[in-house]
Amino acid sequence: MSDGTDRSTLPIRRPPFAGVTKRTLEGSEADWDQAAQVAPPEGAPNVLVVLIDDAGFGNPSTFGGPIETPNYTRMAEGGLRYNRFHVTAVCSPTRAAMLTGRNQHRVGFGLVAEFSGPFPGYNATIPRDCATLPRILQENGYMTAALGKWHLTPDNQQGSGGPFDRWPSGLGFDYFWGFLGGEAGQFDPLITENQKAIGVPESTEDDPYYFPDDLSDKTIDWLHRVRAEKPETPWFVYYATGCSHAPHHVPKEWAAKYEGKFDEGWDVMREQVFARQKELGVVPSDAELPPRNDGFPTWDSLSETERRLYARQMETYAGYSENADWNVGRVLDAVAEMGELENTLVIWIWGDNGASMEGTLTGTFNEMTTLNGIPLTPEQQMGLLFKHGGLEAWGGDLMAPHYAAAWAWASNTPFDWGKQVASHLGGTRNPLVVHYPNGVSDPGSVREHFTHVIDIAPTVLELAGIPAPTHVDGIEQEPLHGFTFADSLSASGAPERHTQQYFEAVGNRAMYKDGWWLAMRLPRIPWLLDPEALRHFGPGWNPDDDPVELYYLPDDFAQANDLADQHPEKVEELRKLFWEEAERYQVLPILGGLSSFYGIVPPIPKVSTFTYRGRIENIAAGMIPRVYNHSYTISADLVVPDGGAEGVIVAAFDHLGGFALYVQDGKLKHHYSMLGVLEYTQAAETPLPSGDVNVEMVFAADAPKPATGGEVTLLVNGEPVAVGRMEHTVPARFSGYAGMDIGCDNGLVVDRSYADKAPFRFTGEIKQVVFDIAPDMSDEDRQVLHEHAAQALAAHGANA
Amino acid sequence: MSDNDQLDVLIAVYLIPDLAQQDFDGFVKLAEAGTISTDGVVLVTKDAEGEVAVQETGDHLGRKGVKVGGGVGLAVGLFAPPLLAATAIGAAAGGVLGKVARKRVQAGIGEKMDDALPPGSAGIIAIYEHDNAEAVAGALTNSIRSSIAQIDKASAKELKAGLEEASAGLAS
Repeated sequence: MSDGTDRSTLPIRRPPFAGVTKRTLEGSEADWDQAAQVAPPEGAPNVLVVLIDDAGFGNPSTFGGPIETPNYTRMAEGGLRYNRFHVTAVCSPTRAAMLTGRNQHRVGFGLVAEFSGPFPGYNATIPRDCATLPRILQENGYMTAALGKWHLTPDNQQGSGGPFDRWPSGLGFDYFWGFLGGEAGQFDPLITENQKAIGVPESTEDDPYYFPDDLSDKTIDWLHRVRAEKPETPWFVYYATGCSHAPHHVPKEWAAKYEGKFDEGWDVMREQVFARQKELGVVPSDAELPPRNDGFPTWDSLSETERRLYARQMETYAGYSENADWNVGRVLDAVAEMGELENTLVIWIWGDNGASMEGTLTGTFNEMTTLNGIPLTPEQQMGLLFKHGGLEAWGGDLMAPHYAAAWAWASNTPFDWGKQVASHLGGTRNPLVVHYPNGVSDPGSVREHFTHVIDIAPTVLELAGIPAPTHVDGIEQEPLHGFTFADSLSASGAPERHTQQYFEAVGNRAMYKDGWWLAMRLPRIPWLLDPEALRHFGPGWNPDDDPVELYYLPDDFAQANDLADQHPEKVEELRKLFWEEAERYQVLPILGGLSSFYGIVPPIPKVSTFTYRGRIENIAAGMIPRVYNHSYTISADLVVPDGGAEGVIVAAFDHLGGFALYVQDGKLKHHYSMLGVLEYTQAAETPLPSGDVNVEMVFAADAPKPATGGEVTLLVNGEPVAVGRMEHTVPARFSGYAGMDIGCDNGLVVDRSYADKAPFRFTGEIKQVVFDIAPDMSDEDRQVLHEHAAQALAAHGANA
Repeated sequence: MSDNDQLDVLIAVYLIPDLAQQDFDGFVKLAEAGTISTDGVVLVTKDAEGEVAVQETGDHLGRKGVKVGGGVGLAVGLFAPPLLAATAIGAAAGGVLGKVARKRVQAGIGEKMDDALPPGSAGIIAIYEHDNAEAVAGALTNSIRSSIAQIDKASAKELKAGLEEASAGLAS
């Protein structure tokens, strides 16, 4: 496929001028190569990478799961199933590894994008010596687009001020449409297009908005546009769904398809999926199911109400996931209609990690309660579920739900554990389907090669005929860590090149080599990330003292037989190898992404006053002033017309966690939702005067401590007009995806009392809104709160 | 009625209507069998479309004479003060319920419960002798939250106070 172009150094250099120049055009000879655009090698295929979020090996019917995935199956039947494909067990790391072809720690993503830490393996910053696959393709003439979830931009860099080099456009994508963070409300996402937050799409009762549908629409629109303008240029599309990450949002008709399908519970589901996997041949017929994990309750031990609730949780998740398959199918249909499916390489990974157990044992009406470390008993969860609309509302926009952890465990059948647990296949082995009619020799087959997400980039490059560059922008490149498996598309007996791989996520570790797998699970409950749960792993902790398990995967597909006692020499060999690999790829220090739990925190921010003037909307969650756990004030200078005004002065997030200062019926009000668990409202009794008016909300915390209570005072022109108490406040983060607005409340509103007027724009003039988050507290208290904030961010990130 | 004449006023809420029906039926069976003595039990169910249905025990259970006015039953005769406090059920749910059809709901407890219950849920209000508490607890096993107040005698005034207290307990 070589065309003589030197593609080893990017950007590709313009060839020397081969024409002739004279003083005038007379006698000058043209060289049109000077004006040519870089072109990919002849025959280079289009590439569509589809990445599903937070899903298990045993979810899609294509791999024996209970969720109907006809489009995934048609791709598998026309292509190949890979049943030993691996990811990193956590979200951003998998994405970073896939897009760079390097191990995640080497590119700064030992943990997730939210927390940019102080060690090279955990700074959430892809280095310039590891150019991404889209950048390589872009520089070789591909058109590139990323749509959907991104999750590779640090939390504090998601604002209009950039920097933008960690945004999609800075990492090789011509076009981006989606959300920058780790998750989004599927009914009310905060959308970013290229380098601008464009807001929350309009949604009405008659025409409700649903992000997965729009994701496919936008993808198809982009394909149609670029194909119309450039009929022959290959494209690279990275289509990353928000599904099936929490919140599990889906229109009722999709969940209803699964009514009654999970009434027998997770234990039975696990057995049934395992049997189907054997029938399909994606699991060897002699495989054994690992023993039951006692960390999850048996279905029989539950009350009838619990069984009904939990069954509904899984019905919703299944409908949500099937909708994702349907929407990917729409994109595939569009590609087929364009006549391009034959020469499109479809790489479809069902899960960036195993299914998520972060809903805790009960599941939750609001995933942010877990991420804020708010313990809720099963009874409290049920009460709050009742409060927020009951079982019928599960999956709708009034909740941000996440199912019970045991569903995730069953979703990862035949493997144990799940997301975050990189020591076991439940966290790291996910379905892969490759569809490439021009390259696959025996469609419908299963490939058993050990493959890993870092193999995607080298495989794509080989099939495109493009070499991995040695230099990009003058910077010498780290060689790709992955191995191509391109030849396995046409040859089932192609050699297995990926024979050794380390795994690490949140301290859970594994070392694989030549079929042997040493599992070194951090002995903790995966969904608990708080100082107490992590205390054991601080100073004095020796990871080598933790229990290990050893498996020989060629004989034990699902890790059912622990051989550690029988092969101590193999344990030692792999443990030693892990430490060598860990050093080589910047995995050290273990738990480097959670360093804030051990006193290693970033410098305390010096800026404490934030002023918003004009129409500023859709501020990302990670960019708002830190109003958590201490006193703060919000002051606004208004102009109220004669006859009064109404509307939102400032609103952050929604009714499942957020705050709003607004004017209703002419009176100043403040509403605060402590994650939908508790709600507080303070209201003035008299209307605002007209003219220039200053309003203020003062929160005087009881003490600078996590979730502190305190007194709220509302003032108009310096005079108190309302007081109230808030017993508990949000300790870490209100929302995983919603934003803050000045002068309105976009998306789902904070106080449902004005939902019918949303976005409830302020009818007067807002000159400025000022947040003052400089509380009067000691340096010691300031340090304690700062550590808490850093821990909360890291914990949120680990769960995102 | 026992010597001390004490009654329990219970409010229970359910995520799932047919489980509430199951408990209601169990309660009625206990009363019919004479295992417990009741002054009335009301079941309010609300289906997924928001349609509300109210059932209550009849006189055959031998009510001891709670006088709630006009000779009508507990459900329609007793107007309950904030039966389920807003803090228990929530403004968010209330917002959802604004457009709910109110067919077959009459004034009184049913209407109050309609306001309080999200679609696809149910509630039970029961009045029974305190000595029967254990047996009743054994019958109402599917509720997700319940609250009980005690009253001294079966007067409408006492009953209202008991309902208020139980309602507040549910909210706490």
